[in-house]
Amino acid sequence: MDLESLINAQLEGEITPEQHARLEAMLRDDWQARRRYLELADQHARLLRQPEVSTGRLGRTSPISRKIRWRTYALVASAASIVLLAMLAWPQQPTDKEATSDGVATISQTLDADFEGKSQRNGDTIAPGSLTLRKGLAQIEFFSGATLLVEGAAQIEIVSAWEVRCHRGRVRVHVPPAAKGFLMHAPGVKLEDLGTEFALNVNGQDSAVHVFDGEVIAHTKGKAPASLKEGMTLASSAGKFSSDDFLPVGEMQDIIRRREKNRLEEWKSWVAGVCNDSRLISFYAFQHPSDDRWDRLVGNFAAPLDKKRAGGAVGAEWTQGRWPGKDALEFKRPGDRVRINLDGSYSALTFSCWVKVDSLDKKYNSLLLTDGYEPGEPHWQIYEDGSLMFSISYLAPGKGQVRKINQIYHSKPVITADSLGRWHHLAVTYDNTTGLVVQYFDGKEVGREVSSFHQPGRPIVFGPCELGNWGLPSKGHAFPIRALNGSIDEFAIYHSALSPAEIETLNLKGQPK
Amino acid sequence: MIEETPSSPENLVLLLSQHQESIFRYIYCLVPVEADARDIQQETSLALYRKWEQFDTSRPFLPWAFRFAYLQVQKHREKSARTPLLFSTDVLDLLASEREHVADHLDRRLRWLDVCLQKLPTPEKELVISRYARRESAETLMDRLHLSRRTLFRRLELLRQRLHDCVTRQLESEG
Repeated sequence: MDLESLINAQLEGEITPEQHARLEAMLRDDWQARRRYLELADQHARLLRQPEVSTGRLGRTSPISRKIRWRTYALVASAASIVLLAMLAWPQQPTDKEATSDGVATISQTLDADFEGKSQRNGDTIAPGSLTLRKGLAQIEFFSGATLLVEGAAQIEIVSAWEVRCHRGRVRVHVPPAAKGFLMHAPGVKLEDLGTEFALNVNGQDSAVHVFDGEVIAHTKGKAPASLKEGMTLASSAGKFSSDDFLPVGEMQDIIRRREKNRLEEWKSWVAGVCNDSRLISFYAFQHPSDDRWDRLVGNFAAPLDKKRAGGAVGAEWTQGRWPGKDALEFKRPGDRVRINLDGSYSALTFSCWVKVDSLDKKYNSLLLTDGYEPGEPHWQIYEDGSLMFSISYLAPGKGQVRKINQIYHSKPVITADSLGRWHHLAVTYDNTTGLVVQYFDGKEVGREVSSFHQPGRPIVFGPCELGNWGLPSKGHAFPIRALNGSIDEFAIYHSALSPAEIETLNLKGQPK
Repeated sequence: MIEETPSSPENLVLLLSQHQESIFRYIYCLVPVEADARDIQQETSLALYRKWEQFDTSRPFLPWAFRFAYLQVQKHREKSARTPLLFSTDVLDLLASEREHVADHLDRRLRWLDVCLQKLPTPEKELVISRYARRESAETLMDRLHLSRRTLFRRLELLRQRLHDCVTRQLESEG
């Protein structure tokens, strides 16, 4: 048996004592054999832990007959080890499974859309199933490449990325060459799309189809398949359909554009009010003035205007924010950041911001970090597991101690695969009397905690700090990279803990529609 | 600068959950018997818990955890001294130090493993699922696929070789 077979016999537990001795001798004598062995054993270990990686075939099948022995239970007694026990029991569940999605389409545009059941937003991924639109318009892009415009009231059933059933309502379908073969079912007819644009109107048991471009094959019960070409209409009942019965396209885009413009004006007038809040330390609107020749100013809009608290962008580029006309800064490279410097000492704080996270690719992903980490300084970041992490550094109590204690508060994980690439409102409040930290995601509370290290009355300070990165720690230290991978649009800092209702308002008023 | 964190068990739990796969892989290379490796992993978690107070939070966690894992592997070796199918101490040493050198390389390989799994032809994918996800026994597989024991293990060997070669090729083209 050669090395390869010996290694495999070892991994499968099929090795005999003699073969094992041979394998051992080879590993002892030859580093290349060791390398080969390590690579194969490591690969095998990974497959044992994460078998369903990327095969995309299995859900969570329960593992069968594991020889796990639990004699270690007896060793653990103290109450604090309950969590650890949970941990020990865990290896049965592979944790770092590759994320999977059962989505087959995404909602790309909506206009006054009112969905039955679960509300749907732009960018939502949809899984196969029934979708009822009470009113409004929704544009659905299938992963096959086909696009569907649906007008409420309508009921459709998404079968796969290649197949849809329309039960009632008006839809318009665009099928690019790549999605040729896309199937649309309607009462009494099955439409096979050969790369085209057509509209369908289903009313009770009657359906009518009109081809605007290209070719559709219509399969009707008991008849030979019929080819429908540009300009042709096929109706199941004696033709009472005119072109008005089919959903026009284009109008939606105009309405959406008008909406977005209104949205910007609405936001501007709302922000003008918010900026008068006397509890603000600073308010960065992330709307960059057209007359800023350097293009690096991140203005503080809190009244009375305090220019000292204006931010300066480094590296980060201006990009579109929550809606057209609204700016945001995009943080991509490890050096990108916004520098700010906030004087003063405070007894409470609120951070509120709009963030679009593109990826949580660092252990800590910065929102606001003070330079270094001195006593009284808050840090706000997103932890790699998607939880919001607020922390504040203090000296440990006791004489002569110089040890720093970091009060860390984690929310439950909120940034998930579904939240990447879209705008979310994040907020945290902290009060140094009660020690209470409350964290919010999209206006909802996702964490409420008092640290066991809390001591009332210790001041909160900022000094030089930055948004989206952590760059200037103490001299002589290499610093870990905590650059945010995403965009920030609006960042408010208050010297008071806002109420849950106020946070909810910030979320509602700032939401991209 | 690293954030100083008090050594609360919660932090250990976080670190363990984050690194449990790495720790398992480390142990498995030294003790390539799954059930034993899992036992050793549990013992390691307990040992880490007992010594958690001593952990210097300014240092990376994994090397520290590997040292404990290695000690547990040695303990396991002593306990089962008569089992002929365990590596002797000198080979364990060689493997552990070699592994330390190639740890990054192994991590890089695993990142490509996902890609290579995707590229497998369907029958091979099925085999991965049966062997690793469903944990079907050799007997079940032989029955279902109408294979002799010898042919089945040959196919598994070829499967692993195929994945290994694919990863190697991907790494080379990575530049």
